[in-house]
Amino acid sequence: MSLTPEGSPAVEAAAGIEHIDGLFSYALVLTRNRSEAEDLVQETYVRAIRAMGRLRTGSNIKSWLFTILRNIWFNQLRQRRTAKVIALDEEESAVDFADTAKDPYAFYVSKVEHQQVREAIQQLPVDFREVILLREFEELSYQEIATILDCPAGTVMSRLARARTKLRTLLSAAFEASNFARKEVME
Amino acid sequence: MNAGDEHCHNVSLYLDNELRDRELEDFRAHLAHCADCQSQLEEEQALADLLHRSRPLYRASDELRARVIAAQDVSVSGHAPERLHRRVLRLLKQSRGASEFTFPWRAVATIAFVFVLGMVFVPTIARRARAASYVDTALTTHRSYLDGKLPLEINSESPEEVTAWFAGKVPFDFRLPTSQLLPNDQPAYRQVGARLVNYGSSYAALVTFAMKNDQISLLVASSKSAEVYGGEEIVSRGLTFHYQTKAGFNVITWTTHGLTYALVSSLHTSASRSCLVCHQNMADKGEFSEQ
Repeated sequence: MSLTPEGSPAVEAAAGIEHIDGLFSYALVLTRNRSEAEDLVQETYVRAIRAMGRLRTGSNIKSWLFTILRNIWFNQLRQRRTAKVIALDEEESAVDFADTAKDPYAFYVSKVEHQQVREAIQQLPVDFREVILLREFEELSYQEIATILDCPAGTVMSRLARARTKLRTLLSAAFEASNFARKEVME
Repeated sequence: MNAGDEHCHNVSLYLDNELRDRELEDFRAHLAHCADCQSQLEEEQALADLLHRSRPLYRASDELRARVIAAQDVSVSGHAPERLHRRVLRLLKQSRGASEFTFPWRAVATIAFVFVLGMVFVPTIARRARAASYVDTALTTHRSYLDGKLPLEINSESPEEVTAWFAGKVPFDFRLPTSQLLPNDQPAYRQVGARLVNYGSSYAALVTFAMKNDQISLLVASSKSAEVYGGEEIVSRGLTFHYQTKAGFNVITWTTHGLTYALVSSLHTSASRSCLVCHQNMADKGEFSEQ
């Protein structure tokens, strides 16, 4: 999202809330801890609000928010010296069956598939998790990702290729189950 | 890198929309005749589809949204005094850990302030957050559809066929109205097809339409998970339509019979005219009034 000539930075900042799911996902991908991820997102918006006045017209707010979040996280890691890896909360790992649908089987397939994707991504090294999240879920360009990660676009490209190969292997069972189940649901 | 490797490499670039102009044309020409690249494209597309069906990977809680929106509201409204702004920012900083509070009275004061803030703002803020989330989902879905990243699961111009297709697939009773046009009438739009999309922990129904040069999408979800709020309000036949322009698209949302609808288009027209997409037989009857 970029600022339009008629849009003031402040108004656009309010619209930045649309990226909250993406920022929260990115935070969870980095921290693997719900509470830390929420704090990280909150801190990101707080800093963004403070810095909004210095943002130039034409800036890419989405990339800017993701960059802020990443910088905060890695600053925190540096301060702690060692990264604390905590398992995801129970509520994030568990499949929620409470919301029943008319077709419980279709609902189940969707839930299981989503959970398999989450688990597979969380098994990747953090470098791979980042590029997969930023490209496949946030649809950022190689250059935008390179800016956020502070590395060349070529590195993004090669890292993404390796991450996809690894992810495909991790999700191979999900592919088969998903294809089978979706066919069943559609028929 | 030999020519074969280069083309394999281009499959990823092609899927990621990173090829431009001549490179794109060359690759498309190559792809038409290369079974290996077609196979690789299919494999990579399958992975992409699986990941895209899982969007968003995680959802921020309503509480987190409310806290962030509260901070933004104070920041951008221009009505809130600077002192309150600073207080909310400080609150957001402080509320992250009880260990940061040395003296109990500060914790008590903060909790009291959070409570008052919650009583006054949170119900509205939470509703706005859910409404904004639904509009954002509708916009993202529409953009993905326009980009060809969200292929339809049924292609049909028949509302009855699409209604039948959704039966049992979505967790609500969804029926498209049957066409009211007379045999010689020229419809202003054409139904293209439909598909399921993930929304929250459930499914929403996406139905797409085409006008002359524009694509229109209609996202339908249960009102339990999707709300409408804000924008310019237009009343017609007891329904209130919320019209807003966001990210260059027109978005109209409304709720009726337990379902929430979001119509997204890039039509360069007024809110009332946009409503005529679904109500073209009302075009000359002055059925819509803007408030």
